[in-house]
Amino acid sequence: MPSQPLRVAVVCSSNQNRSMEAHNILSKRGFDVRSFGTGTHVKLPGPAPDKPNVYDFKTTYEQMYSDLVRKDKELYTQNGILHMLERNKRIKPRPERFQSCKEQFDLVITCEERVYDQVVEDLNSREQETFQPVHVINVDIQDNHEEATLGAFLICELCQCIQHTDDMENEIDELLQEFEDKSSRPFLHTVCFY
Amino acid sequence: MASGSGERQHASVASQFFTGAEDAAIDMTTSEKVVDLLNQAALMSTDDKLTALKQVQELIINKDPSLLDNFLDEMIAFQTDKSIEVRKFVIGFIEEACKRDNELLLKLIANLNMLLKDESVNVVKKAILTLTQLYKVALQWLVRSKSVSEMQEACWDMVTHMKEEVLALLDSDNDGVRTHAIKFTESLIITLSPRTPDSDIPKKQEGDISLDRLPKDHSYIRYDVLSEEGKSALEKLLKFMVHPAISSINLTTALGSLATLARQRPMFMSEVVQAYETLHANLPPTLAKSQVSSVRKNLKLHLVSVLRHPSSMDFHSQISTLLLDLGMAQGDIARCVPAAAQPRKRPRHEPYSEGKRIKIEPTLIEDDEDKEEPAPVVVPKPSSTTGTQSAIDLTAEFLLPLLTSENVANLVLISMVYLPEAMPASFQATYTPVESAGTDAQIKHLARLMATQMTAAGLGPGESEASMEESGSKDPIIIRKVSAVSLGQAISVVGAYKSPTAEETPQAKKLPEPIMPSTQPKAPGSSGRKKVFRLGDVVQPLSDSQLEKLTNMAVKRILQAEKAIARSGMSHVRVKLLARLMTQFEGAMKDDMLHFILEDMRARSDLAFSLLYQEYNQYLSQLPSGSLDSYEHCLFALLSGLQERPEQRDGLFTKLVLEAPLITESALEVIRRYCEDESRVYLGMTTLKELILKRPSRQFQYLHVLLDLSSHEKEKVRSTALTFIKRLYEKDHLREYIEKFALNYMQLLVHPNPPSLLFGVGDDTEVASPWTEETVRQCLYLYLSLLPLNHRLVHELAAVYTEAIADIKRSVLRVIEQPIRGMGMNSPDLLLLVENCPKGAETLVTRCLHILTDKVPPSPDLVERVRDLYHKRVPDVRFLIPVINGLEKKEVIQALPKLIKLNPIVVKEVFNRLLGTQHSEGSSSMSPLTPGELLISLHNIDSTKCDMKSIIKGKSCFYIRNLFLSNLSSLVGSCCLLLFVVVVVVVFFLSFFLPISYFVVLMPHLAFDVLKNLNFSCMMQSLKSFSHTGYVTESGYI
Repeated sequence: MPSQPLRVAVVCSSNQNRSMEAHNILSKRGFDVRSFGTGTHVKLPGPAPDKPNVYDFKTTYEQMYSDLVRKDKELYTQNGILHMLERNKRIKPRPERFQSCKEQFDLVITCEERVYDQVVEDLNSREQETFQPVHVINVDIQDNHEEATLGAFLICELCQCIQHTDDMENEIDELLQEFEDKSSRPFLHTVCFY
Repeated sequence: MASGSGERQHASVASQFFTGAEDAAIDMTTSEKVVDLLNQAALMSTDDKLTALKQVQELIINKDPSLLDNFLDEMIAFQTDKSIEVRKFVIGFIEEACKRDNELLLKLIANLNMLLKDESVNVVKKAILTLTQLYKVALQWLVRSKSVSEMQEACWDMVTHMKEEVLALLDSDNDGVRTHAIKFTESLIITLSPRTPDSDIPKKQEGDISLDRLPKDHSYIRYDVLSEEGKSALEKLLKFMVHPAISSINLTTALGSLATLARQRPMFMSEVVQAYETLHANLPPTLAKSQVSSVRKNLKLHLVSVLRHPSSMDFHSQISTLLLDLGMAQGDIARCVPAAAQPRKRPRHEPYSEGKRIKIEPTLIEDDEDKEEPAPVVVPKPSSTTGTQSAIDLTAEFLLPLLTSENVANLVLISMVYLPEAMPASFQATYTPVESAGTDAQIKHLARLMATQMTAAGLGPGESEASMEESGSKDPIIIRKVSAVSLGQAISVVGAYKSPTAEETPQAKKLPEPIMPSTQPKAPGSSGRKKVFRLGDVVQPLSDSQLEKLTNMAVKRILQAEKAIARSGMSHVRVKLLARLMTQFEGAMKDDMLHFILEDMRARSDLAFSLLYQEYNQYLSQLPSGSLDSYEHCLFALLSGLQERPEQRDGLFTKLVLEAPLITESALEVIRRYCEDESRVYLGMTTLKELILKRPSRQFQYLHVLLDLSSHEKEKVRSTALTFIKRLYEKDHLREYIEKFALNYMQLLVHPNPPSLLFGVGDDTEVASPWTEETVRQCLYLYLSLLPLNHRLVHELAAVYTEAIADIKRSVLRVIEQPIRGMGMNSPDLLLLVENCPKGAETLVTRCLHILTDKVPPSPDLVERVRDLYHKRVPDVRFLIPVINGLEKKEVIQALPKLIKLNPIVVKEVFNRLLGTQHSEGSSSMSPLTPGELLISLHNIDSTKCDMKSIIKGKSCFYIRNLFLSNLSSLVGSCCLLLFVVVVVVVFFLSFFLPISYFVVLMPHLAFDVLKNLNFSCMMQSLKSFSHTGYVTESGYI
């Protein structure tokens, strides 16, 4: 078993719901984890599907929270957005964009295929230097609170299994196949290099 | 220990500083700090140690590099640390140190070599990464040095050797190690190939060494050798990629590496596109569905990145087709094509010397021409780039006109046969409907796809041409021209001026030694050359005991996997496997297996049977020399195992016996034991019976066992055996044998002493004990039970009887009752016996007659025979007794004198019979004489024919009989009552009282006899009853 804890990144589109839920659980389980979004902006549901609340990645969760309270406290309490932001600001001050982070990870977990594509593209577009490998795995999670919780547990279980392998790179293929069978959903998986 | 010696050195180093360099305060503190940290680190836990070591690294590499040399040994000492992380850190340190001070390569490369062979894959992986970096560093360093020392040469040789080792790791068992080896290969190819103007150059690698920066005239580094090494590395990578069982991660890595190669070294564009095409058409069948999607996604990504590169112009059609196949829209593809490349025709093959960055261009243009005479011929329009490329192109061109609708339809029909049952995951994931079917573009694409497949399979005109070309390439000049032209580079392909063997000579010089005293011996001879893997070199034959142990363990595992295998539905395979294996092994394993089967015979019977059949099969296959021992042992063990097992209710035993291909002697012995077990006798005998009936070839052998059991000492066994024999006796073909056996057995009775056979001991044993009731019976059980079934046998008994001794005769008479009665008096054979009555068998016949008439009156037939016998052959009156009721009155009266001469008991019986008391009421009327007539005839007996004594005895018997008869009164009749009384008195007076008194006086013994006969007490009682009925009391007379 690797003596060093895995350096994990969880990535979704806006670094609000899915990645933060997983971030929450993984950090409670003692993982060295960070979370990111890959979108150009942070988007939160608005009063209508075509009117989302859009922020940039510099905005803190706190600021988003007060903005939404100001706009329509009842609506955002009722749909759980305020609750989510409340949780998020306890974890870290603001959303982060994956493309802007230069830290190296062992494992990047994405929450939907589009995000996976963006992550892989970004990693491949970087100049290779150390050839340190990073495994990217996509776990499809629908963007709602319930699925985010379920998905977070699945991600956590996956990370724990990977952490407990003697030789992660040698066993990850098999492990993922097992997980696919167990959770009956496909995982995209690739390896990139820093 | 290592760290201990390190500390001492620190101390000395530190003291040096204290004493010698007082003015350098900053140095002292840094140095002091390093000493302190190193001292602490030696004792710390892994995490703290790493922190401390990182600080030291920072201090001695970045803050004060002058300290690096001083503390190098101390840092490197940690490479033997237990912790993987610490060892990985040391590798990182080596990298940093060497980058900082290239001279350190001399010392550290050997240490890296050691770590490259570390037992932990994580350390090995880190070492590969570091070598990736240090390879470039080392090359650069050597190129820069004006004169290369011997040490440097040795160092480079070691690096080269390590490079070969890492390339060999492409075949490692470990996925992660392979991944790292791929990345190393990628970096190596880039280093060992020239940068061209259209190369993408990552900013950070701007200053990295590459082939084009190598001087051609370097004293040690050979440009052409390295160039060749680079090409062979690419070949290795391409070969690695088409491995059918490549893992998805390795494939992904390789795809990425190819994309990097294509972008950074566009000269390889053709190989890369080629490889992508081949891969797309032949995705490894081992990939799972989701892996296929991942790989396809990757392929798409890399194709796009290659497409964006200006040098991919020539391959746009191929790449676009691939991307279309991968599901990318035409519009998206068009967007990826770089606008700058649109006005094409910038000659891709112009000499790279035009590149502005290249500083040493003059030498490069010169190429290696100083050693090779012919100048590169510039061919204006190279149509294809490599042999493979042209092979596919040629084949595709060849195929294109052949792809008519009819031909294609035929191909489709033919290939229908080869379609798999289920759609493979890779196909399912990759299938996209063909949009442009039938168009020229699509037909071209199809031709190309087929050409790719055919080339991969080594077919088609292109391939044959390519191979011809290759065989022609033996001439270094020609190949040099071709490749130089096609690649747009003037590179010598073959090191013509130096043979490869010559290259090995420098290996002999001293290689760099690792700093730590290394326990790993180096193999200098193997350095610099890739080791060829030969199984024989790395394996050693196992010792016999190891072999046996491993075999045992393997078999045990198969045995114990019973449930798991049953779940997967492959039990029959396991059974077969075990059976096959077992027959090849001897001894303990077989016993183990049999034991295992017997543990749960019911569930494992299939295993038992297949083992048994396999053994038999083995025997048959070795005929005629084969031995049955093994089979016999197996059958015996199974049967006796079953026999010893309590509570075996189901018919497994029977099944095993009946289904065994051959019943051996020992098996028969077990069956016999089984039959002798009282609790299982029925099952055992049923089995035996089945055997007898169903195995005609040996039925007599089995029958013999059953027959033997018929005289068994245990009653239950015996009686069961007899029951079964009687059943079998009904079968015609067995009858003779059974009879013969029974008679033989009976024949034993003629011996003066019982033969040893009867005692169940060996034939040799002398047994002198006399016949007993028991032994006699033993000889007769079978016979007697057959007798009622076959009356003819009775004659044999008579024959034996006459010869037997008196004891036996008595016993025989006792035991025949049951069967004789069973035969009945109508049996013709019995009648015949009576008629013929052999000499000496009179008693037997008499006994038979008695038995027959004991309960029922004799039949006329019987009477006739007896009469005959009596009159013609044996005038023994005793014969008549049993049939006396059947005789005529006259005959009885005639015989009476003789009869009453017999033993009084017999006389009494005669009277009993005559007066009909013997049988039931109804049959008494059969009696030829009424009591009255008998009385009278008794008195009429002529005393001349019979002496007085007998008459009196007879009479007394008669009276006593009569006293009990209630019907006497009716017989004599009321009319004659008085007369009768008178007669009685007179008779008594005359023939009783007087003679008694006479006898009493003269022959006391006779009188006593008479009295005894009269049975005194009965007499008294009778007299009493007489007086009650008013008859005369004669008490006075007595």
